[in-house]
Amino acid sequence: MSTIPAALTAATVLGGAGALAAPALPYKIRIPAVGVLTAAVGVAGAVAGAAALGGSRWTASLPGLLPLAGTHLAVDALAGLFMAVAGAVVAAVAVYGIGYAAGHGEHGIGSRTAQTALPLFALTLVLVPVAASVSTFLVLWELMALASLLLVLAEHRERASVWRAGVWYAVMTHLGLVLLLAAFAVFAAHAGAETFTALRAGAHDISPTLRGLVFVLAGLAFTSKAGAVPLHAWLPRAHPEAPSPVSALMSAAMVNLGIYGLVRTGLDLLGGGPAWWWLALMAVGGASAVYGILQAAMASDLKRLLAYSTSENMGLILIGVGASGLFGAYGDRRLAALALAAALLHVVNHAAFKALLFCAAGSVLRATGLRDLDRLGGLRSRMPFTAGLFAVAALGAVALPPGNGFISEWLLLQSLIHGLQVPGVAVAVVLPLSVALIALSAGIAAAAFVKAFGVGFSARPRSDAAAAAEESPPLMLVGMGLLAAACVALALVPGVLGTGLDRAVAATGLPGSGAVFGGGLRVRLADISAWLSPVWVVAALTAALMLAVGLPRLYGRRRRRVNAKLWDCGGGAPTPRMAYTATSFAEPLQRVFDDVLAPEQDLNVTPVRESAYLVERVRFQRRVPDRIEHRLYEPVLGALNRAGQAARRLAGGSVHLYLGYGFVGLVVLLLVLAVGW
Amino acid sequence: MSGSLYTQLLDLACGGFLLAAVIVLWRRELASIIRVFALQGVALAAIAVLLGAHEGRGDLVGVGLGVGILRAGLLPYLMRRALTVIDADRRRYSVAVTETRETQPLVNVAASLLTAALLTLLAYAAARPLTELHATPATRALPVGLAVVLIGFFVLVTRRRALAQVVGFLLLDNGITATALLATSGVPLIVELGVSFDVLLAVLVLQILTTRVREAFGTTDIDDLRELHD
Repeated sequence: MSTIPAALTAATVLGGAGALAAPALPYKIRIPAVGVLTAAVGVAGAVAGAAALGGSRWTASLPGLLPLAGTHLAVDALAGLFMAVAGAVVAAVAVYGIGYAAGHGEHGIGSRTAQTALPLFALTLVLVPVAASVSTFLVLWELMALASLLLVLAEHRERASVWRAGVWYAVMTHLGLVLLLAAFAVFAAHAGAETFTALRAGAHDISPTLRGLVFVLAGLAFTSKAGAVPLHAWLPRAHPEAPSPVSALMSAAMVNLGIYGLVRTGLDLLGGGPAWWWLALMAVGGASAVYGILQAAMASDLKRLLAYSTSENMGLILIGVGASGLFGAYGDRRLAALALAAALLHVVNHAAFKALLFCAAGSVLRATGLRDLDRLGGLRSRMPFTAGLFAVAALGAVALPPGNGFISEWLLLQSLIHGLQVPGVAVAVVLPLSVALIALSAGIAAAAFVKAFGVGFSARPRSDAAAAAEESPPLMLVGMGLLAAACVALALVPGVLGTGLDRAVAATGLPGSGAVFGGGLRVRLADISAWLSPVWVVAALTAALMLAVGLPRLYGRRRRRVNAKLWDCGGGAPTPRMAYTATSFAEPLQRVFDDVLAPEQDLNVTPVRESAYLVERVRFQRRVPDRIEHRLYEPVLGALNRAGQAARRLAGGSVHLYLGYGFVGLVVLLLVLAVGW
Repeated sequence: MSGSLYTQLLDLACGGFLLAAVIVLWRRELASIIRVFALQGVALAAIAVLLGAHEGRGDLVGVGLGVGILRAGLLPYLMRRALTVIDADRRRYSVAVTETRETQPLVNVAASLLTAALLTLLAYAAARPLTELHATPATRALPVGLAVVLIGFFVLVTRRRALAQVVGFLLLDNGITATALLATSGVPLIVELGVSFDVLLAVLVLQILTTRVREAFGTTDIDDLRELHD
């Protein structure tokens, strides 16, 4: 028995065992037992994925498992990449989750329901890429959505907002499922069968209009799952309200599967398409990247900030996938491979740093009970390890060297810049625009994460809860440490992924790009004279830092260090209220992007009764609402609501009326049949 | 049995079957509605026995006899028992006579009869492709089953008394059984057995429900139950 089926069987057995054990076990044993089983599911998934990236392939069909259609499974390198990412994230987050859930009481994440859903969610995250037929894929996809929905709702007793987030998530994920179902139904009907092999073979005989329809429907569903604008509204709700390990799993593993679906359907099954598909995809990606990170920069809720940052990173990945398709449409297959490799590498990088960021945010939340950056602060001294781990991940997220996000964004920029040699007006307009958008989002990302770290962890605590924070238990730190190690490894030696990444790209029919190779020490582009050596970048940065710190010490005048109070202009000692808050830090940026964000301000001045010139109280309120939501969702929801209210009159309560509906329906149907259209 | 005699007898049975459904619409007294329903059960049994005799299949004759016992005997007996309870109460407490009569159907009797004619026409029109497939006497009679299904549904929609509703439901089921018998020239014994048990259980449940509804609300007019809305 080769590695992949053995590992997948192990994952299924372990996940099933976890789901069965959770309701039966008492609270004390439940969390460690389920946590260990979930981590084992993750390890098994990662092993299977790594084996697939190493070049093995596996296909199987189990006709008896699903009625009518049967189950078809296949693992290639593309599936392997997403399985490996999901598995690794699951393993680390499960370890973290044991520590997180242990102190949380019997409700919430430690409850029977949540602990039953957790291993199932982990299992489906690993198994979705394995599906090789439409029905298998949709069943696993829906199982994943349901398991994650249960987990999002875990803390519904504690906050009313959880329930609302759950409703948004449930509705949007099921709308996505409907779109997906429609897309695959059209596709399978015209290709003649529903296995992926048959779809691949039949895709070229379908008319261009229908192919476009399939791509648009599937694209809407998958970008919604990936949290891209404009179908992102569930993400900044569900991710902050879910328990933190769940947020980490959703943000680092589940949204990736949207990208997987898009690559699988668009590039592999449909075999590429005309340029307008990919231009649309790049537009969606660009909008998500900039809008997501702008909202992240404005957010003062730490987990909301991270959720919007997920939207941004998915946008960047979509730009990469779109560019890959665009180059493919114009026939430049080597550049297409490079862009896809960059996008896939960013999937890996984003999973590593975003899982760590959400875990660190969860540690802060657990220690202080706060997600509001305006009331945090001073955690660096109270929670040194968490702060350090957050810093490592934030460095990855800001796309600057030596972070791991830098390498994939650099690759992406290289592929876009060199794409200008591809002919075509659209390319000449879109590519420079994309480069600018990526650069803009990278800049705002830096501001957002400086804000998150600086306001949240540095400075002085701005609330009692923050001042009394305590470092997380060791298991949480171990889980985060694993993720941080992954971040560092990806930043220093991304080359270890080289051949695996090439195989994943090749699985979509593109030639291997050789984008990342060179013994792990260098990133070199095969056809383009550009190379990057992350280790040297880190070494040079470290050397520069040493020089900057060391030289003044060596040659500067020796002075005795004096501990004294800061000169306060005679105004009294500075209080924590004078420090930058998240809101004040973001204020200049908000002014710059005033037209895009359209903040709402409220100023209430209450004068003293006797005099209009003496003010008793000033109340200032400013909110930055999600504008897309405001403009796009509210009219639709309002119309739906009105239609629902109108339809209430149909349900009068009389049994005869309800029976009458059935009778009239039957008679009309028979009449139509009798008349024969 | 000669071919023409069989055809005539089958047509007679089917005619009686349809006529019984129409009479259910016509009569107001619940006791006579139940009697007519029993007659329809006899007609249905006759259809099954005739089919069985014509094709020389003993099991079909058995099905026919079983259907006869259930639909002409057991089910009317159960409904009559529920009616006697209501009737006894009426005498004891001198409740208005309306409880045992379908006094005010939602569609009046004349219009109901006209509708029944239209529904029968519709059934014949809709079943035309089926009868054209294979023109035996049995399949030519097929629209009768469909018409009874529609009339049964119509009774469900327009009659107020709970017992009339039960009869409507049973008419619907009789129609389905007749359609199945005529279209496939006899369903397997086991299928018919299953269906019969279902119907029996449904009637038992509905009988209990009727009694409970009357105890709770003092009437069996289900149009008074209007709480089922949001």
